[in-house]
Amino acid sequence: MIESLPLFPVYVVDFVGALLMVIFSLMAFFYARRLTILQPKSVLWTYMFWFSMALVALAVSRGVGHTVRFVLLYMGLPRLWKDIAPFSGGLNTITFTSVAVLTFYYSNVRDVIDRVKEDTEALYQANLRLQKAQEALRRLNQNLEQMVEERTKELRQSEKKFRGLFEGSKDMIFFCNKDQSTIEDMNPSGVELLGFKSRQEVIGRPFREFFLDQKQWEMFRDEICGKGHIKDIEAELVRPDGSTRNVILTISVIKDENGKVRGCEGIGKDITKMKQVTESLIQSEKMASVGQLAAGVAHEVNTPLGIILGYAQLLEEECAENKEALESLHIIEKQTKICKRIVGDLLKFSRSSSDSEVSKIKINDCINEVLAVTEHSLNMDRIYVNKNLDEDIPSIKGKKEKLRQVIINLINNAHHAVEKEGIIGIWTEYSIGDREIRVVIGDTGTGIPYDIQNKIFDPFFTTKGVGTGTGLGLSVSFGIVKDHGGYIKAQSPPKDKRFKDAGMETVMIIHIPVNGENNADGSSDP
Amino acid sequence: MKHYKYQLCTLILLLLFFVLWPSMALAVQVHGPPEGFVVHIMGHIFFTSALVFLIYILHKYPIDNSPAWKYFKVSIFFWLIWNLDTFMVHILSIRLPKEAIFTGSHIVYTKLKGPFDLERLMFYFGKFDHLLCVPATYCLAMSFRAFCKRVEKEQDEAGKNAHLI
Repeated sequence: MIESLPLFPVYVVDFVGALLMVIFSLMAFFYARRLTILQPKSVLWTYMFWFSMALVALAVSRGVGHTVRFVLLYMGLPRLWKDIAPFSGGLNTITFTSVAVLTFYYSNVRDVIDRVKEDTEALYQANLRLQKAQEALRRLNQNLEQMVEERTKELRQSEKKFRGLFEGSKDMIFFCNKDQSTIEDMNPSGVELLGFKSRQEVIGRPFREFFLDQKQWEMFRDEICGKGHIKDIEAELVRPDGSTRNVILTISVIKDENGKVRGCEGIGKDITKMKQVTESLIQSEKMASVGQLAAGVAHEVNTPLGIILGYAQLLEEECAENKEALESLHIIEKQTKICKRIVGDLLKFSRSSSDSEVSKIKINDCINEVLAVTEHSLNMDRIYVNKNLDEDIPSIKGKKEKLRQVIINLINNAHHAVEKEGIIGIWTEYSIGDREIRVVIGDTGTGIPYDIQNKIFDPFFTTKGVGTGTGLGLSVSFGIVKDHGGYIKAQSPPKDKRFKDAGMETVMIIHIPVNGENNADGSSDP
Repeated sequence: MKHYKYQLCTLILLLLFFVLWPSMALAVQVHGPPEGFVVHIMGHIFFTSALVFLIYILHKYPIDNSPAWKYFKVSIFFWLIWNLDTFMVHILSIRLPKEAIFTGSHIVYTKLKGPFDLERLMFYFGKFDHLLCVPATYCLAMSFRAFCKRVEKEQDEAGKNAHLI
């Protein structure tokens, strides 16, 4: 049975253990501090640092306590140890209490960090999603850019193609807006057709102002508004200089994406020359057929008329004393002469006039000669002649007698139109561009009704009373001028402002080309 | 690091304050002799509960099975055993009669007298608490050392690969 156990081994273990604890706790502190240096933002290392700090304090206090106790007791000073022991114990209490506080505190901090980590992870995931979305958006944008680029290229090519068609077309192409049908754009051919020099002059003008007949425009407009288009409709457009152009118009309305009318677009084909040629051909055909007919009739009728006239004159000699018979014979003779004159006119009309010599003619001289003969008669009816003769016009080659006859015919017609008290205007001018002489003979008469303007050059068409006119004057004149390579146009009312200002109601315009060789020299066909 | 220095200084000052001028607290309230013992015992309980809590946290949120964490867990385990041991010895020392310890003329002759029942034997062997706290401290130091090496290695690898980025 053991009576007692020595406590000295306990003290020795305490002494050695205390020293080892100090060493190991300092090691732990060293590494914990190094960890905080390596990763200063780590909460775990911070906790470890403080944990080790508290343990160091515990180890030191215990180590020092035990060592001092051992030394004091070994030196035989137990009372002194009794005084120091409470400090050592108190320090121990504080240190492991601190370790406990730190442990609980770390757990809470860890919770907070976990939440922060969760939030960070959520943010990271959101950022990843955002990056993916950005990438998708970037790709989409890239594709969109490519698509836009391709579409723009296509549009550019299309625009180039249609711009070329628009600019290069020889027909008039135009666009009008809804308000007043104002021209928005027009190609160069259209600008030229309407007699302007630049597009800017045309843009902004109402399309209706180019129509000679405003009623025709209104009709077109109503049809466009009603049907949405007009197709191959002939119209006469007037240019700023008063000249006209015949065009065939095709116009369609332009609608926006909502189906609302935005304006109209159209194409106009200039048929002026074609129409002139056609009219000329028709007139030539008429003249040719009438000429052949007239030549035949004149030839057949001329002989019997000559016989009638001859016998009438013989009978006049025989019946010189029988007054009643003589008077009747005079009437027969007179009427037969009238018939012969008509027949003579018909023959002149039908034949190629080769009985007059071709010479150099100054047209102003012809006019003055005719006026010298007719002025007296005109003065009698108080008709004033307004002469505007251009002295610089060139001479032409032609048949003077024939041309004089043309001028006489036109002056006589003017005289008949004015009747009494009025003005007959005569203008001569030379067009360098067209290389032609123009002789204009106008009057302040009643004008030519629109519905007969196409018939005035027809043979036997007359508005004069029976016996006053044969209806061959203008036909013969047209034929003579045609022999000289020209043509006659009638305007009632006149289109040129000069003639309007001079009070003219009708003007007859003779166009004779100045080409020297072909003027009525017999080489050209009538 | 400045932050830690300030906190360390404050802690040391506070410790010195309480160690050098313990009567300052007494000026406010009288604390009798058993209070120190009770506070110390409560401190042990508090420390034990903190360690249990830490074991629970490590069990609930396991980090990894690296040597560093293994050392740390062993250290915590030894600290827990040490706490229980010292707690037991403190309680038994109160129950032990004064005459049970023979001090003698010198520390060498100090003895624990019999008769030796379980309580006295537990007291005697429980007094060898350094056999628990020294390994606990050692394991803690080794754990921190392993952590330190791991972090250094990670940072070295990060530095080596930095040029590849």
